[in-house]
Amino acid sequence: MRPGAWAGAALLTLVGVVGVLTAVLPEPWLPYDIVADVSHADAGLAPSAAHWLGTDHLGRDVAWRLVLATRAFVGPGLLACLLASVIGVGAGAISGFLGGPVAALVRYLSTVTASIPRFVLVLLAIAINGNSTWLIGAVAGVAYSPAVAEAVFSRIDSLQRADFVLAARAHGLGPVRILLYHLLWVNCRRMVGRHALNLFGYLLLLETTLSYIGGFGVMEPQPSWGNMLAFEFGYRTANIWGVWAPAIAIWVTIFCCGLVSEALAERRRA
Amino acid sequence: MADPHLRSDEPAATEPATAGSWRLVVPVLRLVAVFALTLAGAVLAIQLLLWASPGDPVDLVPNGEEIRDQLEAEWGLDRPLPQRYALFLGRALQGDLGSSLTYRPGATVTELILPAAGRSLKLLIPALALAMGLGIGLGLLTAGRSSLLRRAAQVVSVAPVFLLAFLAVHLLNELAFHGMEAGWFGRPSWFALPDADSVLKTTLAIVVLAVGSGALAEVHAAVEDEVVRLRNAPFVDAAVARGAPVWKHVLWNLLPPLATIAYGRAAFFVGGLVIVEKVLHLNGAGSMLWQACRLRDYPVALGITVLAAGAVCGARLLGDLVRIGVDPRLREASR
Repeated sequence: MRPGAWAGAALLTLVGVVGVLTAVLPEPWLPYDIVADVSHADAGLAPSAAHWLGTDHLGRDVAWRLVLATRAFVGPGLLACLLASVIGVGAGAISGFLGGPVAALVRYLSTVTASIPRFVLVLLAIAINGNSTWLIGAVAGVAYSPAVAEAVFSRIDSLQRADFVLAARAHGLGPVRILLYHLLWVNCRRMVGRHALNLFGYLLLLETTLSYIGGFGVMEPQPSWGNMLAFEFGYRTANIWGVWAPAIAIWVTIFCCGLVSEALAERRRA
Repeated sequence: MADPHLRSDEPAATEPATAGSWRLVVPVLRLVAVFALTLAGAVLAIQLLLWASPGDPVDLVPNGEEIRDQLEAEWGLDRPLPQRYALFLGRALQGDLGSSLTYRPGATVTELILPAAGRSLKLLIPALALAMGLGIGLGLLTAGRSSLLRRAAQVVSVAPVFLLAFLAVHLLNELAFHGMEAGWFGRPSWFALPDADSVLKTTLAIVVLAVGSGALAEVHAAVEDEVVRLRNAPFVDAAVARGAPVWKHVLWNLLPPLATIAYGRAAFFVGGLVIVEKVLHLNGAGSMLWQACRLRDYPVALGITVLAAGAVCGARLLGDLVRIGVDPRLREASR
């Protein structure tokens, strides 16, 4: 991978670790209290040693809110990736192995789910079942899985008669071993990784969008990169970072997902 | 279709002129069948989502308990899933999607969502056209070489639709505010976004929808791939050798893959539409869907979702028709 892609991967790892830590650590352990930090005397302060990115129009620390907001999408994003990969690879492998009607069913399902806009599906799901970022992750993951399944299936199908598969068979390897190791692990893992990265980026997009528009997603006082933007809209405070910090965070994180995903594709071709 | 180059490359595709339009009937019927099956599947998926949801849809309705029997009969909740599905599908085919509960109580869903969908199409179609136009223009410029332009398009396009809309609104408002404070100009007619309705706001919505959430980057990348593939195609070499204008051949052969790219993006555009309409306070099916979800107006939300799925399937059908219209080889293949 090129240095840019490594930097992207490092940044994504950092976001992931911070997101998991802030979600797992119990509230009293966190050195920041999202509710108590309101102080009108400190509203709209410029960045300083005490407030690295300044404060928002309620005097809350922007940097801390930015860090804590990662827990809103990292967990659900990982859940979505897990669901899409497990269901997608499973269904793709089974249909690649059995072929025929099962493969046709997978392709049909993939077409059907692609015809309902994912954003609309997620919106409908949280409107019916109640608002939860985990549910957003679960629905997005399940809705994405047929696309993964179809990709895995067509890769397996195109390699069915490849020389290395024939060679492995001639060596007396069983079909399960060939499927699991030679076809799935060696030939599909990068592709599945790319799908997972894209899905993670998409989930960040979903969560921040819903939270920005409001009414669904993360609600005040819980921070999200999306509702931080919405909350500062229209307040002309001296601290421009109240708006630009979350905007840049969203932009850079999604861009990194694309960068690493692109790098994975390049290495496969080489 | 009379273009000779299609045949120069693949002699098997030549067809006797007498066969005429009959050759198109079977593939077209096939595509229509695929359309119907996909849409029926999408409706089933939506019904499954409702069925798998814990809890009772009647609970969602504010005064659900009072009209429980009526609602259960109307939605077929007292019947098993296959019957419920058949009931919904049968009514939907007759244009009956039920009536609104909380969004505008009493109004039928069809009379609510069709005008709204019309307003949304006025954003959706220009946005799709703009994305395709920009993608094709950039693709023809940058195909086959490394270009800063490509990186720039990627960097801008990767931003979510809502973020682009937000930043544009934020910057324009700030600019107008500074200008007015400094006395450069009076109050612009569009100020303050996004509350005042204006041409600027509509244009902004179309541009943001065409560029954001990766739309432009994906169309651009796909066009580039196709252009590179076409430039290396034997029939292009043949056209060059004949001294015929190459761009005409490339553009004509670009149509089928472009149709695929366009309908591949259709679902994303419909999703993005909800966001753009909400962020920029536009009045269409997207903001109606959001409102219906907030008010838990289950029939309206369901109706718009089915309509959205129908629009995406329709776009796919249209794209496939263009494909087989342009390329006779695809007609043969789809038999």
